Amino acid sequence: MTVEPTLEKSAPSLGRAVIARLRGVHKTYGPVRVLDLPELDLYAGQVVGVVGENGAGKSTLMGTLAGSVRRDAGEIEIDGQSLTPGSTAESARLGVALVSQEFPLVGQLSVAENLLLGQKPAGSRRRVLVDHPAQRQAAEAMLAAIGLAPNTIPVRRQVRTLPVPTRQLIEIAKGWGRDPKLLILDEPTSSLGPVEAQLVLDLARRAAEQGKAVLFIGHRLDEVREIADRVVVLRNGRLVADLTPEEASEDRLIREMVGNEVAHSEPKTAPASTPTLLEVSGLTADGLGPVDLTVREGEILGIAGLMGSGRSRLIHTIAGAQPATGGTMSLAGKAYAPKNAEQGTASGIALIPEDRKLQSLVLFAPIRDNVTVSVLRRISRRGILGPRKVRAEAVAITDNVKVRMQSVDQPIGSLSGGNQQRAIFGRAFAAEPRLLLLDEPTRGVDVGSKAQIYELIDRAAESGMAVVAASSELEELLWICHRIAVMHRGRVAAVLERADATKENIMTAAATGADPRQGPEARIDLNGTPT
Amino acid sequence: MSAPTLTPADAAETAAPTAASTLLRKLAATPEAGVVLACVVAFIWFSVAAPTYHNTANLQVMGRDLAQFGILAIGESFVILTGGIDLSVGGLAGLAGILAGWFNVTHGMPGPVAMLLTLLICAGVGWWHGTMVNKLNVPPFVITLVTFTICKGLALSITSGTPITGLSNLFGDLSLYYVGPVPIPAVIFLVVIVVAWFALERTYIGRQIYAVGGNAEAARLAGIPTRRRVTTTYVVSSTLAGLAGILIIGRLGVADPSVAGSGYELIAIAAAVVGGVSLFGGEGRIVGIAAGAILLELINNGLLALNVNEYYQTVAQGVVLGVAVLADRIRARYFGGNRR
Repeated sequence: MTVEPTLEKSAPSLGRAVIARLRGVHKTYGPVRVLDLPELDLYAGQVVGVVGENGAGKSTLMGTLAGSVRRDAGEIEIDGQSLTPGSTAESARLGVALVSQEFPLVGQLSVAENLLLGQKPAGSRRRVLVDHPAQRQAAEAMLAAIGLAPNTIPVRRQVRTLPVPTRQLIEIAKGWGRDPKLLILDEPTSSLGPVEAQLVLDLARRAAEQGKAVLFIGHRLDEVREIADRVVVLRNGRLVADLTPEEASEDRLIREMVGNEVAHSEPKTAPASTPTLLEVSGLTADGLGPVDLTVREGEILGIAGLMGSGRSRLIHTIAGAQPATGGTMSLAGKAYAPKNAEQGTASGIALIPEDRKLQSLVLFAPIRDNVTVSVLRRISRRGILGPRKVRAEAVAITDNVKVRMQSVDQPIGSLSGGNQQRAIFGRAFAAEPRLLLLDEPTRGVDVGSKAQIYELIDRAAESGMAVVAASSELEELLWICHRIAVMHRGRVAAVLERADATKENIMTAAATGADPRQGPEARIDLNGTPT
Repeated sequence: MSAPTLTPADAAETAAPTAASTLLRKLAATPEAGVVLACVVAFIWFSVAAPTYHNTANLQVMGRDLAQFGILAIGESFVILTGGIDLSVGGLAGLAGILAGWFNVTHGMPGPVAMLLTLLICAGVGWWHGTMVNKLNVPPFVITLVTFTICKGLALSITSGTPITGLSNLFGDLSLYYVGPVPIPAVIFLVVIVVAWFALERTYIGRQIYAVGGNAEAARLAGIPTRRRVTTTYVVSSTLAGLAGILIIGRLGVADPSVAGSGYELIAIAAAVVGGVSLFGGEGRIVGIAAGAILLELINNGLLALNVNEYYQTVAQGVVLGVAVLADRIRARYFGGNRR
């Protein structure tokens, strides 16, 4: 089924010293092989960009190096010393520093205390008591070392009072301050503004100049291409390409990331003129809006936008799961103002949230109970349920979306991600909604299952449901949607018909907030204010 | 786990190998089975060791004991199923007894009115707990601890520390009469079990309570009124605490502020945990909870029948709890559902 990828290797080593040597590193979770690297060397003075789709094995690779993931097999050497699997302390001792996206900072402690967590400031004479002045001094030095002007970040402040970008910088300073041999940056710029992002990119370069090895996991291809001396592509846990920056064109990278499995790409024709189902005008909520949108019956509207642009917020506000602060909505001509998700559901809206584990399922409960949650009321008689009826309903729901399982009594957590997601679709369909809201419909689903989920989305639209699908994966939106609304800072920057919806147009609108069809002068407005 | 040559797809098609092995696996995978089995073993063992253990009189004593904290355990479990905890049940049961007595004796209300009013007040307390937990996000531990403390104090202040005597006969009748050989409190306990089982397993509200406990965010996004469900469980818990309190004073014949309900909340929580209820919410069934309460009573009474030193009885309770938790963890490790 899967084609064995052939490794294309052309990036030069240029006789540099090897900092990290990985041989036969292997990791599986249950039946899924998430990482399988026969050979990978990271050299001193090199920034290695790592790209891959979600679930390609990027985080697992970082985790095995940083010790937070215990590899099943294989050898890792850091600067000649063998690395014990699964010990973060050991990885730190050998000189691996991971700057992760999930800042492991202690919110109640000050910036200075966080930066020196677990260590005493150098030169402090105190043995028992905390040497606050020395601690602050050391912390300020660490922040200065990553190029921040003095007092940009107040070191006495509690970390939890600081915004996310600042925390990201603290995390970076913490990693940098350990003077690592191998610095791993996990999408370090995803939460930063342009100025801070540049600072981080400069920092990565500087690390390489100082002879460190840098592993830069990027979510934006242009950024990776700009900074990396070498780009490796992961797909399904394997290293499928090892390229020089010249070879690593955007097209090439995407091709390598997606592999041969690009399917289902013919542009869609919008349904014949159907009545408008959802009309949103001037909708505002915390961090959202004002937003104007319409969705017709049988139509699939995509919501694109960068991280934090308000995609999920829009979906949740329409569903009633997040309170709207202004504006109006109407469903099939009737005013619709949900106070909570309960009212949204009652009005014929089904929401499939982005995080299956946290927002959709009770993992340890049987499939039966999970899939019937949306219909309990309907299948009960005066509030009373018959167990046989529940079971039959669960079987019908799962059959409808072809969930592969042994019985509806097994815990839903024992299914694969794709099967879980199909079960969630089945549950949503069972409630017979008029409007289906999707947030990252294929997150954490393997490539084969993705196609099946796209089919389900098509089916929903063909049956007359209106579908609104938010996704961070552009390819996905281009495959499934009739129209795409691009969001930028909580507003809809542009609504693109299928014919206009090219990747370039979407990215332009997402990054600049300008409608790309309004001419070139709109595109260079980088301040994000639509003209 | 079945025949080795089957592929997963085949296995889905074919029925399980033999009925017997399926039954065994199912039993092993059900946390309740172990507790029920332990009940049977404990009963037989004590019956052999202490001849008076299984005579009618002693069984009736056990039935009355059980009614008191068994009812509390059922109510407590409702709250625990949503991932909360109710520390107030012991104190509230104590106060409920005092209130019922006070209404009846001091204020001259007829017995049924006094009882009904007491139960209503308790339900109100439950509603207050639910509201505080939902609206102001007060941790359940804290808000119910507040109620517990106030209840203890109120019980003493209402009575100035002296027991209320001269209760209506109805109280005593409730606790002392029998249906056949079964004492009425035990009958009430049985009724509570059946109703609770029905509510949790056979009504959509019950299933939604499990969903809220298993994953509150998922339940909310699925359109379940999570707050109302949580409040419901606190109301159930408090009302049942009131019921238990009324049964306790009936048995004692007086409303004694120093005796009633003390420490019962911990026994109730222990019974729930022994019966397989997860303190993280969403897991546990009425059969197990009832069996958990019965097991604790069987052991308590058994140790008494064997003339074991009272101090060691408490130790034994702790050991039972420890063994139950350990057994449950081991079971979960081998049969899935390994969550905690």
